[in-house]
Amino acid sequence: MESYVLITGATGGLGKAFAVECAYRGWNLFLTDLSEEHLCCFATSLMNTYAVRVIYSPCDLTDAAERQKLLSHIRSCNISFSALINVAGLDYEGLFSDRSPEQIRTLIRLNIEANLEITAEILKLRNRIKPFRIINVASLAAYYSMPLKAMYAASKRFLLSFSMALREELRPYGVTVTTLCPAGLPTTPECIKAIERQGFAGIITTKNVGYVAAKTIDHALKGHAVYIPGKLNQLLRFFSSFIPSVVITRFIGSRWQRAGENKLQKPEHLIWNLWRKTEGVT
Amino acid sequence: MNTRPSSTLLEQAGRNLKGKTVVITGATSGIGLAATKIMAGYGAFVIGIGRSEQKCRMAETEIRELHADAKIAYLTADLSLLREVRKLAEKIKETVHKEGNDCIDVLVNNAGTFACWYISTEEGFELQFAVNYLAPFLLTYELLPLLKAASTGRIINLSSGSHYRTKIRWNDIMMRKHYNCLMAYKQTKLANVLFTAELNRRLGKYHRSNKTQDSCINIRAFVVDPGLVNTQIGFKGTTGIVKWIWKMRSQRGIEPEEAASTIIYLAGDPNVLNSQEIYWKNCHPLKPSKYSQREDVALRLWEMTEQMCGIRWEN
Ligand SMILES: NC(=O)c1ccc[n+]([C@@H]2O[C@H](COP(=O)([O-])OP(=O)(O)OC[C@H]3O[C@@H](n4cnc5c(N)ncnc54)[C@H](OP(=O)(O)O)[C@@H]3O)[C@@H](O)[C@H]2O)c1
Repeated sequence: MESYVLITGATGGLGKAFAVECAYRGWNLFLTDLSEEHLCCFATSLMNTYAVRVIYSPCDLTDAAERQKLLSHIRSCNISFSALINVAGLDYEGLFSDRSPEQIRTLIRLNIEANLEITAEILKLRNRIKPFRIINVASLAAYYSMPLKAMYAASKRFLLSFSMALREELRPYGVTVTTLCPAGLPTTPECIKAIERQGFAGIITTKNVGYVAAKTIDHALKGHAVYIPGKLNQLLRFFSSFIPSVVITRFIGSRWQRAGENKLQKPEHLIWNLWRKTEGVT
Repeated sequence: MNTRPSSTLLEQAGRNLKGKTVVITGATSGIGLAATKIMAGYGAFVIGIGRSEQKCRMAETEIRELHADAKIAYLTADLSLLREVRKLAEKIKETVHKEGNDCIDVLVNNAGTFACWYISTEEGFELQFAVNYLAPFLLTYELLPLLKAASTGRIINLSSGSHYRTKIRWNDIMMRKHYNCLMAYKQTKLANVLFTAELNRRLGKYHRSNKTQDSCINIRAFVVDPGLVNTQIGFKGTTGIVKWIWKMRSQRGIEPEEAASTIIYLAGDPNVLNSQEIYWKNCHPLKPSKYSQREDVALRLWEMTEQMCGIRWEN
C-alpha cells in the first residue's frame, strides 16, 4: 500500500507551499480544498513537475456531511498515510459584535471541528511501519488574546493546546505532532497588503512561505512540538511571556486599530509611510 | 558604445513586415505596446496578447486612432498559468486561420513581470518564473508548427542585461526558500537566453535533417536586450522601496518606442536570419554571458522545463 500525505487547505498560499515542498521531497499527496478546478490544475502541475502521485478531492470542511463523504472517499482509495498537514483555517477580522451567527459557526467548524475530526480519522489510516507526522497550522496569535481577531486567536490557541496534549498521548505510538505558529505570511495579495498595513514591524516579522513550509517539515521530522518561524518572532514570544497578558492585549489592540486607520506613529512613521503606498500589489 | 541603428535598415525591416503575421505578448503597455503600434503601422497583421480585457481594448483603440486601417486583434490570457497559455495557443491558431493564413511569421515573447514577494501561481510555480520563462517556453512549443510553416519564422524573446552575472539555482530554481526578487528576475532573464540558444541548436538540427527535401526551412530564435527602458514594469506588483528605486532608475531609461526598434529589426530584416548571433541590443549583436552559452546548462534547464510543462519537444 502506498503512503500519502494529506493536506487540507491545499490550494491556499501556505497549503500550496507545503504541497510543493512535499512533492519536491518525492512524497505522494492527497489534497483537499474547496475548488475542484484549482485542485485539478495544481495536482496536474505537481505530477508533471515532481513525478509524484497526487490524488485530490474537493470538500467544504465546514460541512459535516461533506466531511463524511471526503473521509469515505479517502477510505475507499485504499491508501495509507505517512503525514497529515492541517492547513485549512479562516479568519474574520473586525469586532466580534459584528459577526453573524453563521460566521461564528463557520469559524469554529473549520478551525476546530474539521481539524479534530480529520485528525482522528487519518490517524486510523496511518502507515504503521514508520513514524506518522501531524502538522497543525496555528499562528503566533495562539499565544495572545487579540482584539479584532478574538475568535481566530482563541481557535488557534485551542489548536496549540490540543496539539501539545495529543503529542504526549501519541508519543509511545511513533506519532509526532508539530504546531506551526507563524506571524504574517505573504501568500495572497490580501495578506501582503495586511502585512504592509502593519508597517515595518509587519515586514520584519514576516518570512517567506516556501522557507516556512520547508523548515516546518524539518521540525516535524525531528518531532519538535512547536515551530515559530523567525528569530525575531521567537524573541518576541519569549519576552512577552514575562509581561502580564492584560498589558499585551491592550497593546495589540491599539496596534491593530492604528493599522486599520493607516496611521502608525513614530518612530515607525517614516518607514511605515514608505511601505504604505502599496496599491496595485498583484 | 551606443550606436543608433541606421534608420534606412529599420525602414527596410519595417516595410518587410507588410502582410506578415506577428504574435506579440504583453502588447498592452511598455515595449510591447510600442512594438505593436509600429508593426501595425507597417501593415503587419498583429495579434496582441494582454492580461486585462480593458487594457486590450484601450490599446486597440489607441492603435486604430494612429492607423485607421491597422490589422490587429487582441486576445487575453493570464500568462502566469500554463493551462491559460495552452488555451491561448488554440485561440491564436483560430485567429490566424480566420484571417485566411496558415502560418505565423514572428512570435515575440515580450510579456514580463516583477514581484517583490514570493507569489505562487495556482499551478505551484513562482510568478516571475512562470510569466517570464515558462510561458515563452510553452507558447513557442505550441506555436512552432505555425512558425515552421512561414517562409521565415522568427522567435524573439525579451531578455535583459540582468542576465549577466547570475546562474541557475538548480536546487531551488524558483527560490521558494530564499526568495530575492531581483535574483529571481535575473534568473528568469538568464533562462530566456539559455532557452533561445538551445532552441536554435534544435532548430538547426531540424533544418539540417530536412535539407535533403530541398524545402528551405528558415526559422531562428533571437534574444532582445532592450536596455534600460522607461516603462511601468517596476511599479506593478512591487512595494514602496522598489517603486521608488524604479522611479529614479527608469527616468534615465530610453523610451519604449526606441527599445522596440530592435524587435522590429529582428522581425523584419531579410538578412538577419543568416546571422549566427542570438543576443541583440540596439539592433547590434552583443555577447551574452559565458554561462548562458553553456550547452550542458541549457540542456539541463530544457529538460527540467519540459517536465514542468508536461511536454516532450520533438523536432
Ligand atoms: N523596462 C526595462 O527597463 C526592461 C529592461 C530589460 C528587459 N525588459 C523586458 O522587456 C519586457 C517588457 O517590459 P516592459 O518594460 O515593457 O514592461 P511593462 O510595461 O510592464 O509591460 C509588460 C507587459 O506584460 C504584460 N503582462 C505582465 N504579466 C502578465 C501576465 N501574467 N499575463 C499576461 N501578460 C502579462 C503586461 O500587461 P499589463 O499591461 O496588463 O500590465 C504588459 O503588457 C519584459 O520581458 C521585461 O523583462 C524591460
